Amino acid sequence: MLLGDVSETYTDLVTTVFSSTIAAKAWLASAALLLALVQVTTAARIYGRVSFLPERGPAISRVHRWSGRVAFLLTLPVFFHCVTILGFQTPDTRVALHSLVGTFFYGVFAAKVLIVRDRSLPGWALPTAGLTLASILGALWLTSSLWYFTTVRFGL
Amino acid sequence: MGRGWIPVLVGAVVVVCTFALAQARVFEPSVPAAGAVAGGDVYRGETVFQRECAGCHGAGGKGGGVGPRLSGAGIDVATVTAAVQLGRGVMPAGLVSGRDEADVVAYVVSISTG
Repeated sequence: MLLGDVSETYTDLVTTVFSSTIAAKAWLASAALLLALVQVTTAARIYGRVSFLPERGPAISRVHRWSGRVAFLLTLPVFFHCVTILGFQTPDTRVALHSLVGTFFYGVFAAKVLIVRDRSLPGWALPTAGLTLASILGALWLTSSLWYFTTVRFGL
Repeated sequence: MGRGWIPVLVGAVVVVCTFALAQARVFEPSVPAAGAVAGGDVYRGETVFQRECAGCHGAGGKGGGVGPRLSGAGIDVATVTAAVQLGRGVMPAGLVSGRDEADVVAYVVSISTG
């Protein structure tokens, strides 16, 4: 079956690098979350909320933009596996919460991208959208990668 | 309605599309469907397999350890269940049981016959 083959091909591709598809998602999501933290920190610097980073300027803005772009790219394989292969599931609270929150991720992302480009919006719109997006990513990580690392990978 | 609603509307459309895509599961493996083998969950079985079995059978059951390659080996449910419950060669009996057993059997059959 063609559609089944896509899933197999994806799994074969991923397991050439990672031990399993779930391990791949856990590590990619962790990297994305790390970059999201960079995003939040650099945004806070740009808004003058923190002072421990170097001066405001092009460098901070560049780090902010590129951390966002790379974080977005890292989420794409996770999206592919979660949405197109696994789908929306509710077998237990963790998975149900993960499915529900995950459904909103790219919606908030799309809204944030539009807000960035619209300078007519109130000043609070962009930080609110950014923090919401980072929070959603954090919630997704807590309900998936953290579970994976604590129950499967490292058995904490 | 001001322009401020545009990001919210676009975001809402993306959320609905994501949900529809997730409901469709367009690339869900057709053989066997997740959760359809012996009452086990293939996805969860993958995590059990990695924890308990991959050390000998390799990541994804592709071999490389002391255990045989399982991926593409064409093993059926009864054979996998017997191996898990009774052991086979150097593989000890009862490595997993209960829900873990059902899940890992479903996973092994999926990579074996998929």
